[in-house]
Amino acid sequence: MPEVNVKARREMELNNLRKDPALLVSVTAIWVLLALFILFPLFRMLSIVFVEEGRITLSEISAALLGRNQLKALVNSLTLAFLVGVFGTLLGFIFAFTAVRSNLPRFWVRLLDASIILPLISPPFTTAIAMIFSFGRRGLITYELLGLKNFNVYGMHSTLFAETITFFPIAYLTLKAILAGIDPNVEDMAFSLGSSRRRVFRTVTLPLSLPGLANAFLLLFAASLADFATPLILAGNRFPVLPTEAYLQITGLYDLKGGAVLSFVLLIPAVAVFLLQRYLVGRKYFVTITGKAGAESSIKSVSNLFRTVLVVFCILFSLLILYFYVLLFYASVVQAFGANHTFTLKHYRVVFTEGIKSIKDTLIIAGIGMLAGGLYGVVVGYLVGKKRFPTRNAMEIVSLLNYSLPGTIVGIAYLIAFNDPPIMITGTALVIIACYVMRYGATGIRTTVAILQQIDPSIEEASASLGAGSITTFRRITIPLILPALFSGLGVVFIRSMTAISATIFLVSIRWILITVRILEKMTELELGVASAFSILVVAIVVIVTTGISRALSLLRNPGAPRLASVLGG
Amino acid sequence: MTAVDIQLLGIKKSFHHRVKGVVRAVDDVSLTVEPGELFTLLGPSGCGKTTALRIIAGFENPDEGKILIAGRDMTSLMANSRNIGFVFQNYALFPHLTIYENVSYGLKVKRFSKAEIDKAVTEVLEMVGLRGYEHQFPHQISGGEQQRVALARAVVIQPNVLLFDEPLSNLDAKLRIYTRGEIRRLQQRLKITSIYVTHDQEEAMAISDRVVVMNQGKIVQAGSAEDLYFTPKTEFVAGFIGRMNALPGSVQIIQDNTVRVELFNHTYRIPLLDPELARAENLKAFIRPEFVNLHPGPTEGDFQGIVAERSFLGEKTEYLLLAGETRLTAVAYHASSGEAYLPGQKIGISLQEENIILLRNGGNK
Repeated sequence: MPEVNVKARREMELNNLRKDPALLVSVTAIWVLLALFILFPLFRMLSIVFVEEGRITLSEISAALLGRNQLKALVNSLTLAFLVGVFGTLLGFIFAFTAVRSNLPRFWVRLLDASIILPLISPPFTTAIAMIFSFGRRGLITYELLGLKNFNVYGMHSTLFAETITFFPIAYLTLKAILAGIDPNVEDMAFSLGSSRRRVFRTVTLPLSLPGLANAFLLLFAASLADFATPLILAGNRFPVLPTEAYLQITGLYDLKGGAVLSFVLLIPAVAVFLLQRYLVGRKYFVTITGKAGAESSIKSVSNLFRTVLVVFCILFSLLILYFYVLLFYASVVQAFGANHTFTLKHYRVVFTEGIKSIKDTLIIAGIGMLAGGLYGVVVGYLVGKKRFPTRNAMEIVSLLNYSLPGTIVGIAYLIAFNDPPIMITGTALVIIACYVMRYGATGIRTTVAILQQIDPSIEEASASLGAGSITTFRRITIPLILPALFSGLGVVFIRSMTAISATIFLVSIRWILITVRILEKMTELELGVASAFSILVVAIVVIVTTGISRALSLLRNPGAPRLASVLGG
Repeated sequence: MTAVDIQLLGIKKSFHHRVKGVVRAVDDVSLTVEPGELFTLLGPSGCGKTTALRIIAGFENPDEGKILIAGRDMTSLMANSRNIGFVFQNYALFPHLTIYENVSYGLKVKRFSKAEIDKAVTEVLEMVGLRGYEHQFPHQISGGEQQRVALARAVVIQPNVLLFDEPLSNLDAKLRIYTRGEIRRLQQRLKITSIYVTHDQEEAMAISDRVVVMNQGKIVQAGSAEDLYFTPKTEFVAGFIGRMNALPGSVQIIQDNTVRVELFNHTYRIPLLDPELARAENLKAFIRPEFVNLHPGPTEGDFQGIVAERSFLGEKTEYLLLAGETRLTAVAYHASSGEAYLPGQKIGISLQEENIILLRNGGNK
């Protein structure tokens, strides 16, 4: 019986393609894009790593794995990723728990929100720069305040700290949704059965958020594993990690193959995490999001003392993050931080003269990438989320591939693939835009699929029963309902295009240069003031544009949209 | 517009279920709905009534069989060209459109002029009592109001047929009774042939001209509410419509047209009207709770029993009685019997002989 079903389904899927020319065209177009910008580069990279003089060989990869330094870098990378995963998840959980369960006054909630959003929208070196300002040789805290002369800021401890601050917002967002989704009645029930607060937390709240915790851990693990910017500044010589080693191999030693092999070693844990995460998310979360608002979580799940401890901790931590940004701003308007604290705008003068080209280039690339990536995300999301056609599952997996792989791998793969004929586009804006679109458009795909799942099929049936054909239904009903996914996709691609570096550092050229790469250059030239000014500028641009996007969205949708989900279920 | 008839001819539909294998959701269903009639498909959840309704609407294709509306074969027609109004269980209002836009949606699709649309929408909103709600969004109005918007949206396109898929199940009890009256009045005023799906027998009896009881994908019995209540054809219908006591005594056919039922040393003689039953080997006797009468003296009535439980329900009191091993439910209406019996009390019980129902034993189809 199942075999018959599989056959019937294939038949049906094939028929859909035959009957619907629009579907056929869009599926083909997407596959061409996926083949060109995801499969082809990966294939080229694999062939460089595994093929030696026309024969398949494992010697390169085994040399890379067994080499002393490389092995050390691999172990370092994994250790760092594990610790960032643990601490970031813990921090994210504490923040999420406090946000959901402690009825904070509005002002403090805003403060928490701001300090959580900032790391998400900042260029990659901001925390690292602030760390050096604070804890470096002439650091504000270590030198000025504590008088330590020989405090070493470089190494694993700083990298761990900076990455935890940079990535914990991801855990926070994941866990907040989970915690907010737990029906307070379930906890109240446990209380009424006589449990103590601690017991309720241990036996109800924690088990219910376990899948979320695991998911958050994996997200952070992957983020840290792929992070290249923070270790480049903070790790120092004694703590090499794989992404930076791969980068140095290519830019320092011009050894493309060696860099490819090194970054390929990263692929194994990255793919393992990707698969584990798919397995986890594929299984049902315990928490069902009912969409019923009403149920306000009560304070009684936390004792007053514990609540105070949590709130104080979160606020102090938020202040620390805000302090980093204030420091960054301060450093951008003084002559030389740590030595000469007289006010000056000279760093900004550099930014707007010498740096103007990178600003223009970045804005053009981010602007085009944002539109293309938003559209790409919605189209692919609609196809895999709604349509039935052959290769649908493969399309979904392939489309998420570049998003899941570490940026260094993607960047090196692009560098290898597009450096030679048949497709020689290295150094053009196109290759950078393609990289951003295929990488960060994936978030749009996920959002679109999620929204499509929320839309009750009866809404489209209602449209049909009122006489609307499939095109009218798509135009009048489906598109307006998935519009929020388009806008969130736009926002994400823009933010990433402004702030990412790990993949695109391999793709910039004299013709097209990015702000983030300029920041890195200024850091290596020890012009920290200019680097700070650039960073502040990026944060400002991102805040302005994303605010604009969300304004546009709220103007476009009706006032009911924020509660869309609760209406959709009926 | 004149009302049309609907015919289903041998409709079959199977699904593949992950655990149960192939499930016959609709198993050879044929029926005719008369023009202007409100016809109800009644049955427990999973009996195939909603699937049948969705097949009529064109949301599902039948594996076999035909759907005729006004004599015209609709089977291969898409949902959007059948001109059928559908009221969904969850209303399925378009969340991004206002009430006015929701209701006018079907007219816009059909390219009516702005003036015509305005007039029709205003009229229908007046009809369902929602004038002034035009610019509200679905989430801003109550469940009952959403329900009426769904109704207005379905009738404004002047459909040949109206289909209702458990439209009241998301409303509270009071509103449910009020709204079903509204639906009935509207349907009679517009004279649109309608099919109504519900699992609530009271709702079905209150609203319908005719009711079809379905079980396991098949039609069990069709008829008016009275037919189904007083002359159920199977034990399933007897138990599903209203409540029923099964009587344990031995059933013997004496002559062709009279049946003797022995119960607690009392003999009941019941005329047998259905010749089908006379041929059946094994008959069982049933009686509804309101035809079980109670008497204060234990020696009065047909046999003796004990009151096990008593529930006071306002206009009536329900008793659970024990007569030997047998449990009987009785209902006493206060207008007719003012007496109250207490748990533990010994009483006399009599059955209204003329209201004992005979059915084939074990037949649940």
